[in-house]
Amino acid sequence: MAAPCGRMLSRCVFQVLSAYRRSGISKVGCRYLSMSPVSRINSLKGEVQGSPWTLMAAVCLQRLPVISAEPSPIEQQFKHLLQQIELEKSVLADHELRLLEDAERMRRKQANDYDSDEEEGRGGQEIIMTQDLEDVWDQKLKEFQPEPRVRDDIDKDVTSAERCLQDKLILLAEQQVGGEKLWLLPQTQWKEGETLRQTAERALASLPATDLKATFLGNAPCGVYKFKLAKAARTQSSEGVKVFFFKAILSDPAPPKTHTASFVWLKKTELESYLKPKYLQKVNRFILSL
Amino acid sequence: MNPVFRKAFLFNQAFGRCSFLVQQPLWNSAAAANQRTYRGASTEGIGRWKHLLPKQAQRKKKDKLQMKPIVEATPTSYGTLNVTVSGYDVVLVEHFSQFIHNLCNRLHVPMSDSYALPTQSTELMLLQQKGTKTLVDAVLKTHHRVLQLSSLDACLCPVFMDVVLKNQPEGVQLCVKEHTEAEFHQRFKARPELEGLVAQIGS
Repeated sequence: MAAPCGRMLSRCVFQVLSAYRRSGISKVGCRYLSMSPVSRINSLKGEVQGSPWTLMAAVCLQRLPVISAEPSPIEQQFKHLLQQIELEKSVLADHELRLLEDAERMRRKQANDYDSDEEEGRGGQEIIMTQDLEDVWDQKLKEFQPEPRVRDDIDKDVTSAERCLQDKLILLAEQQVGGEKLWLLPQTQWKEGETLRQTAERALASLPATDLKATFLGNAPCGVYKFKLAKAARTQSSEGVKVFFFKAILSDPAPPKTHTASFVWLKKTELESYLKPKYLQKVNRFILSL
Repeated sequence: MNPVFRKAFLFNQAFGRCSFLVQQPLWNSAAAANQRTYRGASTEGIGRWKHLLPKQAQRKKKDKLQMKPIVEATPTSYGTLNVTVSGYDVVLVEHFSQFIHNLCNRLHVPMSDSYALPTQSTELMLLQQKGTKTLVDAVLKTHHRVLQLSSLDACLCPVFMDVVLKNQPEGVQLCVKEHTEAEFHQRFKARPELEGLVAQIGS
């Protein structure tokens, strides 16, 4: 079989340098990923034997969750219990000790038989009382407004990459396949002289109206889907199509783009309504439901 | 003493000869209390277990940290990789590095080393609202934990990376790099006097 898959593994593996960083809620949309260029492309040696299968590579682009998922009721109860235990077993912090000392001193000052000469410890009056410090911090905390965790209006917009911040989203594109428009993972045909991973990168780049920066996880495909063409369309040279899937992680927060309805960001549970059953079966195998 | 003795005698007579013989050693040991009865008995050394453990090589106290050999990348697997987990919260960083370690054990990914780099402290100094002095507001400590995988199969890599990224907690950074000698030497402090002396000897 003229499988670049086999050839690809016989090539030297690329050197990977990648850094993944989890962003805070202010940088909504995506994680920041950086990758140094990976290049040592050797041309495909030898001739491709006339194979009846058309090879295509598709990219499974995922936007990882930005914030942690909501804890389930049991998790919440356990968390509460652990916090209680920790609080009861803990020792007073420096700040709390200072608060107690200050309260003591205030009480002693207010007592009738207070003699300031007897006071030891701090030389002179301290300017900032610990309670005042606490008040200042409380004030600052009130001024801080966190972003809402769940935004319903953006969640409903299927084309936005910033929906459902707690879940992992997968990109689906509507592409023309053999005469009909289907929803599937962005794919494109393999050309001679390039690796399948480069084909997948090309598939991502060729999506209309978007420039999505992605980091590919590894050079090996994570799944395959093959289908035979209808008997009428079968010829000597094309019996069917084999599609190899590659996983990638979205690195850039998606810039605002024109809302074309040609691609959507979906959770794993929502894939059912867009993909064909057999295709979905193969795709579900490599999309982790974590 | 006498009535007791008589009672024992009667007891023995009641149960026959064998019981009389059994009783005798007891009386003998009571007379000679300095003897230890278990030496030579069949149960001597019943609690010993250290002789069953495998022999561990004696470690010299002054053991310089040797660099583990760097595995080269092959066509089907990556070479020695350094997975660095870093962040401000030490609990999260430690737990995440433990998670990755356990994941590697599960997936039979050979791990050669796992160490911690020194903690880096960052002092945040903010300008006071009234006045030009800067006030120390907070000290942030960045912790690093490094896991060294000696080889990672190319087919396993996307799956492994996917699982690790999915479980990455908030506020923790992950970095996967290749291991080099220079990185190994970064862990050690520079010794200028030694280098000076070596240069003197060389010149």
